[in-house]
Amino acid sequence: MDNLNDIKALWLTAKTDSLPSSDEMLRIVKKFRNNRLRKKLTIIFVALFCAALEVATMFVYKSTMITTRLGEVLIIIACGVLVFTNTRSMKRFIDLKDCSNKDFIEFLEQTRRNQVYYYKKTQVLGMGLSSLGLLLYLYETASISTAAFIITYTIAIIWTLVLWLVIRPRSFKKQSRKLDETLRKLKEISKQLD
Amino acid sequence: MADFEEIYAQYSPQIYRVCMGYINDKEQAKDLVQETFISVWKNLSTFRNESKISTWIFRIATNNCLRALEKSKRVMTTELPFHLPDQPHEETQEEKLAFLYNCIAELEETDRIIISLVLEDLPQAEIAAIVGLSAVNTRVKIHRVKEKLAIKFKAHGQFE
Repeated sequence: MDNLNDIKALWLTAKTDSLPSSDEMLRIVKKFRNNRLRKKLTIIFVALFCAALEVATMFVYKSTMITTRLGEVLIIIACGVLVFTNTRSMKRFIDLKDCSNKDFIEFLEQTRRNQVYYYKKTQVLGMGLSSLGLLLYLYETASISTAAFIITYTIAIIWTLVLWLVIRPRSFKKQSRKLDETLRKLKEISKQLD
Repeated sequence: MADFEEIYAQYSPQIYRVCMGYINDKEQAKDLVQETFISVWKNLSTFRNESKISTWIFRIATNNCLRALEKSKRVMTTELPFHLPDQPHEETQEEKLAFLYNCIAELEETDRIIISLVLEDLPQAEIAAIVGLSAVNTRVKIHRVKEKLAIKFKAHGQFE
């Protein structure tokens, strides 16, 4: 094996008969559902639904306290943040047209940077707004009696603490390690194309 | 506009070989072929002939290969030992091919893509359009990758 032509000839001997036939591939592609896109759509739909529910509650349930109104508004804003972030991210993927490897690596790097920003800033903002919104929203109901107040706020505070001190740090640590590793690798590939 | 089945029949063997060159694993290469043709199917109606259809398909395939790094897919480099047995041994075609894949797997990601496209006999201008380098850079890169591959072959006693 002493020249490129020999290597080319060897390269072409790769067996490709185990690939699906055209008909089989057509069946596969027709059945395919984009899970990533579906997940984003579900988040957008759920956030919109929650916001709509919150707005409807504002009209149906006439609250007397400002804390309830404020809580509702904060939760609606948190839903809005979720809808905006996920729609923007989905649009970037949909807008991604025919692009070279170099452009694609840049796109992936930007996507991962956006994700890091999301975990560090947007998620904190969204969770902060919804947590504060929930605590304010519950005040009117909880203030009926001391027992209701203690029970409601014990549960709400435990949930908030679990969310901030257990769920988020765990998810952030896992995601951030994965994202850092991906970004490092993408930078390496990007350098190969400089 | 060619229809999907024609495109698949024409390009799937090439795409499979390029993916094998990149990932060096039959099952993962098949998955990458599938992902590539799912994208082709989804976007065929909006393909605007701004580039050749082959350039478009190879771009999708190689971009999928590059994205495989995000799915923790590892490139296999040790499927077969590099050191051939001391006993005289007539290598089979499959062993020779596995050896070639192992040599390619030792290259950097973009070099693996470039050499796979070279071995598919794509013109340099098309390789430049797929990878996103200038014509001059592509020519230099191709030359270097061929040299690197030759060194690997020599190091393992495959060049006379």
